[in-house]
Amino acid sequence: MEKQKDFTKSEYYENRELSWLKFDARVLNEARDKSIPLLERLKFISITSSNLDEFFMVRVASLKDMVHARYKKKDIAGMTAEQQLAAINRETRELVDIQYNTYNRSLLPQLKGQGIHILPGHEDMTGEQAEYVDRYFQETVYPVLTPMAVDASRPFPLIRNKSLNIAALLKKKGKQEKEEIEFATVQVPSVLDRLVPLPAGAEGERAFLLLEQVIERNIQQLFLNYDVLCAYPYRIMRNADLTIDEDEAEDLLKEIQKQLKKRQWGEAIRLEVEERMDKRLLAVLEEELHIAKEDLYKIPGPLDLTFLMKMYGLEGFDELRYKPYKPQPVPRIPAGEDIFQQIRRGDILLHHPYQTFDPVVDFIRQAASDPQVLAIKQTLYRVSGNSPIIASLAQAAENGKQVSVLVELKARFDEENNIVWAKKLEKAGCHVIYGLVGLKTHSKIALVVRREEDGIRRYVHLGTGNYNDSTAKLYTDCGMFTCSETIGEDATAVFNMLSGYSEPLSWNKLIVAPIWLRDRFLKLIRRETEHARNGKTAFIKAKMNSLCDKEIIAALYEASAAGVEIALVVRGICSLKVGIPGISEHITVHSIVGNFLEHSRIFYFHNDGQEEIYMGSADWMPRNLDRRVEILFPVEDEGLMEQVKHILQVQLEDNVKAHVLLKDGTYEKIDKRGKRLINSQEQFCQEAKAAVPKQAHRYQERVFIPMETEV
Amino acid sequence: MSIRTFAAIFIGSYEVSLKIFELSGKRQLRKIDHIRSRIELGLDSFGMGSIGYERVEELCLILKEFRRIMDGYHVDDYRAYAGSVLRDTSNELFILDQIRLRTQLEVQIISNSEHRLINYQALAFQPEFEDIIREGAAVVDVGGGSIQITLFWKGKAVTTQQIVLGLMRIREKISGIQAKLSHYDAQIQEMIDKELDIFRKLYLKDKEIKYVVMGGNYVWDIMHQHQGPDQRPVMEGEKFQKIMKKLQKKRTEEIARELNFSNEHDPLLLPSVVLYRRLAEAIDAKYVWTPGLTISDGIAYSYALENNILKNTHDFDADILSAAMAMAERYSSFSGHTEAVRELSVTIFDALKRIHGMGGRERLLLQVAAILHDCGRYVSLVNQADWSYQIIMASELIGLNHLERVMVACAVKYVSYPTVPYEELKDQLDQERYMVVAKLAVILRLSNALDRSHRQKFKNVRAALKLKEKQLLVTLETKENIILEKGLMEGYTDSFEQIFSIQPVIREKRILQ
Repeated sequence: MEKQKDFTKSEYYENRELSWLKFDARVLNEARDKSIPLLERLKFISITSSNLDEFFMVRVASLKDMVHARYKKKDIAGMTAEQQLAAINRETRELVDIQYNTYNRSLLPQLKGQGIHILPGHEDMTGEQAEYVDRYFQETVYPVLTPMAVDASRPFPLIRNKSLNIAALLKKKGKQEKEEIEFATVQVPSVLDRLVPLPAGAEGERAFLLLEQVIERNIQQLFLNYDVLCAYPYRIMRNADLTIDEDEAEDLLKEIQKQLKKRQWGEAIRLEVEERMDKRLLAVLEEELHIAKEDLYKIPGPLDLTFLMKMYGLEGFDELRYKPYKPQPVPRIPAGEDIFQQIRRGDILLHHPYQTFDPVVDFIRQAASDPQVLAIKQTLYRVSGNSPIIASLAQAAENGKQVSVLVELKARFDEENNIVWAKKLEKAGCHVIYGLVGLKTHSKIALVVRREEDGIRRYVHLGTGNYNDSTAKLYTDCGMFTCSETIGEDATAVFNMLSGYSEPLSWNKLIVAPIWLRDRFLKLIRRETEHARNGKTAFIKAKMNSLCDKEIIAALYEASAAGVEIALVVRGICSLKVGIPGISEHITVHSIVGNFLEHSRIFYFHNDGQEEIYMGSADWMPRNLDRRVEILFPVEDEGLMEQVKHILQVQLEDNVKAHVLLKDGTYEKIDKRGKRLINSQEQFCQEAKAAVPKQAHRYQERVFIPMETEV
Repeated sequence: MSIRTFAAIFIGSYEVSLKIFELSGKRQLRKIDHIRSRIELGLDSFGMGSIGYERVEELCLILKEFRRIMDGYHVDDYRAYAGSVLRDTSNELFILDQIRLRTQLEVQIISNSEHRLINYQALAFQPEFEDIIREGAAVVDVGGGSIQITLFWKGKAVTTQQIVLGLMRIREKISGIQAKLSHYDAQIQEMIDKELDIFRKLYLKDKEIKYVVMGGNYVWDIMHQHQGPDQRPVMEGEKFQKIMKKLQKKRTEEIARELNFSNEHDPLLLPSVVLYRRLAEAIDAKYVWTPGLTISDGIAYSYALENNILKNTHDFDADILSAAMAMAERYSSFSGHTEAVRELSVTIFDALKRIHGMGGRERLLLQVAAILHDCGRYVSLVNQADWSYQIIMASELIGLNHLERVMVACAVKYVSYPTVPYEELKDQLDQERYMVVAKLAVILRLSNALDRSHRQKFKNVRAALKLKEKQLLVTLETKENIILEKGLMEGYTDSFEQIFSIQPVIREKRILQ
């Protein structure tokens, strides 16, 4: 009998925040990869920057709450909130250092080499450029500025979260410097582009100055009665998010409610200033914003690098970007064909963005005008602003179909946007459900009920990604169309449940969180463990965005210890550690950061030859398993199973974009020497193109033939 | 249109459900949607005797939503029934009115016997049904308000018995002592055992029951968990009891988890487990079958039968007759006489076919009345007709609805008493049914008179209608003196004439050997 091992020791786990920072570092790595086109690299820098902002606003803010609430519980890796904050601070500084190093030393010079100049400061402009900028300031910038001075009668103004500002020290004209120095601040208007194009001089070249530099240069004009002693940009991040991050434990929520008074709403949790900022000026900011030394970041370059995303879209210079990929048609669903007829022929797999998202949009659009369709039901989580799906749903309701839409308002940072179109749907006559109390609806499912000759038939689309036609071009996701009766029944039950009716006592095929999903995953993993113990071949291959659920990880450790081979593709957070002797020696973790955002979730269990494959909306994170409505669906069609296995296999073989998690917790790119290069995303693009039947490309010219006169 | 979309609504004591079906001859019943909404009307109804307006309000909202869903499916027709929860309520008329006004749904309250029949019709459509009842089966139906046990023997229904102790009632009775979870089992057991004992002594003593057919919430799912999805939901009785025993030792949360049930705090789950175990133990059949049907399925089957979408596969009439005979036997009144009266009545009924305006159902009621017409003697020889009436009214005959039972009871009563004017019966029967009762009663009276001696003196009785002579000619072969019968019969001729405008005439053929 094997000695009972404890798989839950905290040293076997990695803190999720630190693991997340490693993910951001992998994204940053892409910006340093010389084999990637220059503008693409700028894009990656921009992404690391916006990622980091969100991380601070949500996660760091949450940890700060814990510290204020004197919440002592340790995390999965045995760290207190204080310890985590200290570690995050250390890692973030390192990350920011690399970020700006890359920007200043590698990207800026290379841009220059390509004739794109981002001037480091207004002092570097030519006379012609300076003249242009001053005129631009007068005409465009000045009217939208609101400078604010601070003195005895005017308190320190509210500095908006994430906004870029310029702080200045002023002195009344004609007075001695020592007598009376005043502080003033002005927000860099967010309505104007950060990048101000300048006359470049040479043909085919471009030059830009950052907006804050334009203001700095002309700041004197804002304070005419003063002398401006110095002016520098700064930016703060606030703990302004009124909702507590759902990832935290419920008991924390209670704790915080108890300590509500102690919570400092809107406290500044990070201050970024330009490195060279005047000491006196910095002292004022530190004091007024109550910022601690460890939360001050001195930045060697422009603050807030997200403006580089704009740079990425720069006109011309196409050779500095990847050729844009056009999502390919799905061979099973030729454009213009009756989509329901195609689904009746068998389940259909969709792999976005390699394949186009159009069939999903068409699915709803055709249903909206199909006289045989009785009802359309759909969950909507994050939808693009001008979504054709929403338009179709509204159309369907106007056509007299019963349309039920579950709108999740709690989608992070999207609330306002969601409310607007939810109202629009209600107006059109849709039955709009605004989610369940205490649970975020994260599942992606659409159901079309159709009355056909031989009775009612249900068509279901299940997916791993949101019904968002714009992100479907950037996120890799899988979807499945089916008209299987059992899945159709379950889909109906899902919507009944979401409408507040009793859940079915049991489900046919679908596995629905929060109630069943965790247990089912544990069962599936443990079944594999059993097989391994019985000396059978046993393996698990799975792909997800994050892995940080303790119970699941412990089950994986147990499986690995029993000899189950576990190959994981985890894009982001991974609290699992590989290579712990006797615990996780049979587990490998790959992470792919590529041009598209890896987003699909696939779970493949060998099950002693009776293979089972599931896809769904859930990661192996506590929030997905416990506090969201998620759906996991089986892929049962043999052809489809092969396709999904292929997707997993290619991802596991990727040696261009994949990082491998090492024993020491670091990630490293795979040694490519002597190997055929496999870039999974690239390969999927090629395969999608090759799969399109040739005749689909043929353009048939339409010729009108005039009728001969009959006489 | 060959496919009809049908909605079945049932208002139960702890749940209101809507089930959408497609009905067609080819695919029979196809379930499209099943929506259940928990609303514990039984708490009000069983506890206080009436349902409070908050719950009525809630009920109307649910039904309104059901109406919307039905419209979404373009439902062709529906039936909305309520069971004991509204039957046992003092304000049911107002509730039905509220529902009608606010949801345009016509809800009918069904009697227990109708409820049973509906369940039974669904059951009879299951392919296993005939085989199972041939070998002796007890069909157990666990509801919120009561438990119903129906016995089948040699392919026919024998008896059906209601035990007014359903899940909601049990829950209410032990809600005070729920804290002591360890005694939970014992409490329920004590409550149920007394009732089951009587049933066992009366009906199970000499019959070997091979199957117990378990119906009600959860039980199918429990079976499903242990049998795997593709197997028939039949299990050995011992195994079933073992599983239930294991389950009832756990907490509700654990049971729910193990069975993948969604509601972890379902207060009815544990009482159900205990109840199913006790029932299985008490009946102690070799096998347990859980067909997994709900009342909604029954409503749909019953509707499909009514509208000739489906054809009966089971002979329900034979069940009614055999149940009536079993009942007559229980009251020691089944004899050659009752059989003779039945035969004579049917002969006369058939002869009068062209003028009496009655059909097959009435012919069946006539036979049931003939079989039961003497059962009151069990209580007393004095006023036996009154006792017969009381016994029939207090018993259940599976397959007959409440009004039909009243008709049988009245027909039996007026075999002995002269038929009373309609005014005296109008709160029990409508005119049409009153007329049927009157007609059945005179036929029975005549037949009863012909076998007054209880000695079955006749052979080859034939009856023929002579319209021209306005006579019903009854021809009998006999070798005995029938002066008594003839004399008695003359006394009934008037009432017969009054009703049918026909005079019954007897012609006897003396046979020597």
